[in-house]
Amino acid sequence: MSDSPMNGRPMSDNFAERLGFLKRVVEREIHHLRYSSDSVFASPFTEERAARLGEDEALAEKLEAYTSRFCRLQDTTGDKLLPLWLRALGEKTGAVADNLDRAEKLGVLDSADKWLEIRQTRNQMIHEYIESPQVLADALNTAHGYQETLIAFAHAMLSDAKRRNLLE
Amino acid sequence: MRLTDSQRQTIRQLVIDELGSGSTVKLFGSRLDDSARGGDIDLFVEVDAPVEHPAQLSARLSVRIMRAMHGRKVDVLLSAPNLNEQTIHRLAREQGAFL
Repeated sequence: MSDSPMNGRPMSDNFAERLGFLKRVVEREIHHLRYSSDSVFASPFTEERAARLGEDEALAEKLEAYTSRFCRLQDTTGDKLLPLWLRALGEKTGAVADNLDRAEKLGVLDSADKWLEIRQTRNQMIHEYIESPQVLADALNTAHGYQETLIAFAHAMLSDAKRRNLLE
Repeated sequence: MRLTDSQRQTIRQLVIDELGSGSTVKLFGSRLDDSARGGDIDLFVEVDAPVEHPAQLSARLSVRIMRAMHGRKVDVLLSAPNLNEQTIHRLAREQGAFL
């Protein structure tokens, strides 16, 4: 096997460099997400807390950071890292659901359906729109419950890329 | 209504499968407009018993229906006795058409 980080692939693909960049982005996103997660979920996120968001500016601001960080990590992982990793492996890429199914088959993601469900839950995490505290609290707790799975998925692709010498 | 008989049947079956026979499903939004094209499938699902995880439930049902509709975007709006009624629920109930 070549020692070159490009691993003999055409220079124009730059997989090693692009994967290296996304690795740094993902690690920063995980770091900030964990900080926000510790702050918002230090005590259970109940319906009562959800109902207070209108008046509790400090909580609303913390939550805003949590949801945007969660969503950003899911987007970076699913919409950027996943297709790049698949292409680096020589796999075809397509619609998000197809890429997720492929990731499940390749063993880096537990369940493509669960990923899509979390993606769908995001619409219900925005307190300015969701007037039901039950729905809001459930959406946020669901995202929080999925956080380690999301992080594990990103790490699984990056570890695999490293094993294959695809990462600079 | 821009859904085929077979799509309506599939959706009804998935809703009953997930929520039981005490549930109903209506189509609302742009798919009711026969002159429009494409668009998301907006569904209003009413269930007669309280639900414990409303966000998870509507997300799971959306994904199951989306998969059955070959990736077409699906949004399920859920109504249950223990959930606050929002303006969108009333609009969907009034404007929606049973599948």
